[in-house]
Amino acid sequence: MATVTGWGPAFCPWKTPMADVAMQSPAVKAPTARARTLRGDAGIAWLLTLPAILAYCAMILLPLLAVLALAFTDYEFGARSFRWIGFGNFADMLGDRTFSASIRNTVVYCLFVAPLSIGIALGLAVLIEAGARGRAFWRAVFFLPVVSLTVAMATAWQYLLHPSIGPLNALLRVIGAGTPNWLGSSDWVIVSLGFIGVWENVGFNLVLFLAGLTAIPRELYAASEIDGARSGWSKFWLVTWPMLGPTMLFVIIITMTRSIRVFDTVQTLTQGGPNNASEVLLRTIYQEGFHYFRFGYSAAITLVFLVIVLGLMLIQTRLIDRRVHYG
Amino acid sequence: MTKDILTREMRISRRHTLTLMGGAAVSVAMPSVVRAQAAEIQVHYSMPAIFKEAQDAVMAAFSAKHPEVKATYVNPTPTYEDGAQLLLRNAATNSMPDVSFQGLNRLRMFAERGVAVDLAPLLAKEGDLAKLGYSPAILGLGFHAKVQCGLPFATSNPISYYNATLLKRAGLDPSKFPTTWDQVIVDSQKVRALGDGNDGMFFRWPGDDWMFSALLYGHGGRMLNDAETDVAFNGAEGLAALRLLDRMVKEGGMPNYAGTADLQAFAAGKLGMMFRTTAQVRSIANSVGSNFELGTTIMPVIDAAKGRLPTGGAAAMITAKDPRKLEAAWKFVKFATSAEGTTLMVKNTGYVPCNQIAIDDPSYLGDFYKANPLFQAATRQVHLMVPWYAFPGQNSVRVTQVMVDNLARIVEQKATPEAVLADMATEVRRLIPRQG
Repeated sequence: MATVTGWGPAFCPWKTPMADVAMQSPAVKAPTARARTLRGDAGIAWLLTLPAILAYCAMILLPLLAVLALAFTDYEFGARSFRWIGFGNFADMLGDRTFSASIRNTVVYCLFVAPLSIGIALGLAVLIEAGARGRAFWRAVFFLPVVSLTVAMATAWQYLLHPSIGPLNALLRVIGAGTPNWLGSSDWVIVSLGFIGVWENVGFNLVLFLAGLTAIPRELYAASEIDGARSGWSKFWLVTWPMLGPTMLFVIIITMTRSIRVFDTVQTLTQGGPNNASEVLLRTIYQEGFHYFRFGYSAAITLVFLVIVLGLMLIQTRLIDRRVHYG
Repeated sequence: MTKDILTREMRISRRHTLTLMGGAAVSVAMPSVVRAQAAEIQVHYSMPAIFKEAQDAVMAAFSAKHPEVKATYVNPTPTYEDGAQLLLRNAATNSMPDVSFQGLNRLRMFAERGVAVDLAPLLAKEGDLAKLGYSPAILGLGFHAKVQCGLPFATSNPISYYNATLLKRAGLDPSKFPTTWDQVIVDSQKVRALGDGNDGMFFRWPGDDWMFSALLYGHGGRMLNDAETDVAFNGAEGLAALRLLDRMVKEGGMPNYAGTADLQAFAAGKLGMMFRTTAQVRSIANSVGSNFELGTTIMPVIDAAKGRLPTGGAAAMITAKDPRKLEAAWKFVKFATSAEGTTLMVKNTGYVPCNQIAIDDPSYLGDFYKANPLFQAATRQVHLMVPWYAFPGQNSVRVTQVMVDNLARIVEQKATPEAVLADMATEVRRLIPRQG
């Protein structure tokens, strides 16, 4: 994942602002002096980024290349040899029931968690920002799920959602509603996991939105009021919403990648069951690699996973970035 | 003034103590210098939550008896899976521990990949194996791919757990626990009739194929044919096993518990009967506490003549190839699986003893079982135990998942036993190695 997040625009040593200035500067006339400045600055720039480059190569690039190579082999963990099988692993995926279930569930999970957690977080952020008191309190309350250990919290969820002794179903029984088997039924399991995902993500998004909200200059609200935006809604729509553009883009990317990466709740609560109804991509990768020891196949799924994440990033930055005004 | 003297005195005495301690340390260290010739071996095991106390006891007793071998534990791995991974990883880097305790159904993989040392020549040197307590049945649990790849250290079989308090409330007599599944299903309905979220029974089918094999072996069925070229579970026995599971849901009202929800419901006193491994007797008894009266007994019998039960647990496996280390490792494995070692294991875990002498001679465990009746159920089924079948080839673990996925369709009542059996046979067939 660091491949994606660590790939920011800030990391461009070959395009140092100093070099740009030097090139544009009309004051520098002598070609030798200019070249020397360029070489010196660029050299220092490279030198300064060297530790980062080395770390990047050792921690991200090389493992990535290893995964890339493994994806085209039938290597099994502990096996003494392997064969190159070309696209064999990818062909296997097409007929793999678990893999297709895992793709489907991951997509459903993302489409459920991302909009809900972003929408709820935005609503809460605006409410908290508008409130006069208790900001720190509410922020802490909603941020709590983010800092709590998911595996430990999953145990609490398992109890809350327990079909016979869980408080939720006890409540439903009292009001006479049906008592679904939240984590045991293939019709409900992905929805239940989705709600846990929303609960996990709202706090994180909320804090990001709050930061975005405080960055909006007060004068804009005053100006919009003079221009006739009196209601809360028109202020939100005309000032807050467009000014939150960059934050929104960031939150969407973060939430999408976070929900594609869902693993711990699934692993602790359902182990992908029943009958693959909650199998998700990351768990499939884990299961194939570390449970069945099929490293080659697992690497191939990892590649698919990377391509999906990179594709999402591209779509989001290319399409949405254009509409973000003040980015 | 007085204070100063006091401190100085204290300093001196502290220095004295330190010198003394240093001297003591040297003298303690001396034997190890002398014993530099002693063979050093590293031992690995999994699931410290269950095995730590037993392993520590075995190690202490072994070290006292065999000072010529210096055995140490590497960090234990949390699950059998992690343990298998660790060993495979170490095999790749040539840094394996010398002895490893592995899950019984993983042994075959290590035998097929040439990681496990064949213990047959070592056993042959020992002479009369009966005197060591290694019966053919016990040895059979560690025999895979024509290799004696391990000696069983701790074995388990499925048993019945029941909430006697709840069964009494439903008008049942816990001392007459059902001996047939038909009766289990009838009793389950009675417990459910109490309402208030009470459930009658849960058969622990998820996780792996182990509990399904209890139903299959119970009917006298087998997983694959003798040559291991084709599935054998798709006959009458397999269908009967799946139909029984179907009836547990349809007639017995068995809920579809995910993860450890069954244990939680049971501990909360909301589940009448539960069928799962004896390995959990200790932890279940702990979680139940004094909430209600807990009982255990043998599994309901399906076919009195042909019926068998699968064996779970761990075996000691040797990976050391160096002759000196091999000799030391063999000493350790022999001790851990001896009557003495197995007694320590049983007392600290609740698993079934894996040494015929400890099973037959009451001087080893007689008192323990008298004091801990909950542990008796499993030992009453020892004669029924057959190996937990490990599928051949590279997909051996994957096959078990395919089976569990298909069982889920029955428990969710989304497919008939007939349809599931056909699908299961097709999918498993694809995963076992083709002949030739």
